[in-house]
Amino acid sequence: MQININNLSFAYGTKTIISNLSLTLNGGDYLVVRGKNGSGKSTFIKCLLGFNQVKSGMIFYDTIDITNFKSWTRFGYVSQSFDDFNYEFPLTVGELLQISSLKKTNESERLKLLEKMGIFDIINQNINSLSGGQLQRVFIVRAMLNNPDVLILDEPTASIDKQNKVFFYNTIEELHRAGLTIILITHNDNIENLNYTHLLSMYSDLSTSFEERGVEITEGVL
Amino acid sequence: MFLSFIGDLFQQDFMLRALVAGVMLGILAPLLGTFVVVRRLSFIADTLGHFSLVGISVSLFLSSLGITMFFERPLYLGILFSIIGGLLIEMFRRSYNNFQEISMVIVISLGAALSAIFFSLSKKTGSLYNYLFGSILTVTNYYIVLILITALIVAILFILFSKQILAVSFDESSAKFLGINVNLFQIIFIIMLSVVVSVLLESAGVLLISSMMVIPVAAGMKLGWSYKSTLIISIIFSEMSVFFGLWLAYSLNIPSGAAIVSINIIILLIVTVTKRIILKNRISKMDKLQ
Repeated sequence: MQININNLSFAYGTKTIISNLSLTLNGGDYLVVRGKNGSGKSTFIKCLLGFNQVKSGMIFYDTIDITNFKSWTRFGYVSQSFDDFNYEFPLTVGELLQISSLKKTNESERLKLLEKMGIFDIINQNINSLSGGQLQRVFIVRAMLNNPDVLILDEPTASIDKQNKVFFYNTIEELHRAGLTIILITHNDNIENLNYTHLLSMYSDLSTSFEERGVEITEGVL
Repeated sequence: MFLSFIGDLFQQDFMLRALVAGVMLGILAPLLGTFVVVRRLSFIADTLGHFSLVGISVSLFLSSLGITMFFERPLYLGILFSIIGGLLIEMFRRSYNNFQEISMVIVISLGAALSAIFFSLSKKTGSLYNYLFGSILTVTNYYIVLILITALIVAILFILFSKQILAVSFDESSAKFLGINVNLFQIIFIIMLSVVVSVLLESAGVLLISSMMVIPVAAGMKLGWSYKSTLIISIIFSEMSVFFGLWLAYSLNIPSGAAIVSINIIILLIVTVTKRIILKNRISKMDKLQ
């Protein structure tokens, strides 16, 4: 899937958060969106996922304008600290995955995914008893269950320890090698070890820079 | 006393009707209650009940003017208004996304005000008590048929859509990535809830319906280890409350709804205290081991 963003601007009321952002991503790219808190990273993702209505600029998925886009199952999304999910009510990992696998998925691929992510050991555990790292693995599996083309992860390593971070980045790289498009949002500057293909840096003065690994493509300054 | 209650339960027609209505109430209330609690909308049944009361009061007002509709049964206009109330909550909920409880305060106030006005205009304020507190011991055969049909419709909707409704309830924003039409399932859920609340109103009452939906689930959550187990435990607690509540109401001649809710609260207290004691003992044992 190709993602085309043309002159995207977004404001909450009169406060501009994103100004004239343009970029193109092709299927199989790995984009890191980097910026400090408040630089507009999450707002950008909410625009991409249709949670924020785009009023200025355009977003196209292949040739479809986002306002007409309906095939959201092509996206897998893991939100920041899973804060939209009510994980205080009793629900086992197995039950969560059961209500999340609606599309007909290949059973053997599903089992392979569960095994790779170490889910079988915790399948009967209540999700509110899981550690940050376990919870994150569960939510990545949930996002992957329906075989998306694009996986979007918002601040994925915020609440996990070092060992889980290493496991997480290895998993993401494996998924990327298998052909998945990855968009990873982070406020961490330490990204040199990641094998990303594209980097979008967002700054609190609304300026942005978008570069293919090592080669600057566009620079937008207010 | 208990044996004469059991004897009457199966010999007296009105007791048998109360038992059937009670069993249905004991299943339907916590079943929908789990979704309501997951969505953090515990006051929604109360709000819908108040709006259903508007329909009932309008129906009584119209009949005082000689206008009859829906076979002179106020319940049907109650169902209609409850659905309108549900859709209003949904509308306000979307415009106050981060303050969802505001939507319920707006609708409950409107419901209370309008029903007070129409009850007063109908000059039938005497019947208000029954609608506020309900009476499971006076339900008719007609009501039994209605509650059985409602239970059947809810069962069919659950068999068809439980996955989708659960996915939307637990995580509304991510449900669209599962290919779910979120708006459609929000509307299906709110209409189903509105209908169930107004049907249960006659037996549970406006002021007690919310407790019957939420309190057994609150107790179930203390013991449940999964969604399924929490639901089953909630239904068992709810049925226990109905049964012992009916016994209390019958033996002491007190309102049935109030008796059922009191038993619900007692169960919740027992569960909370017992769980705390067990946890404390476990922690002190672990401390000793260390």
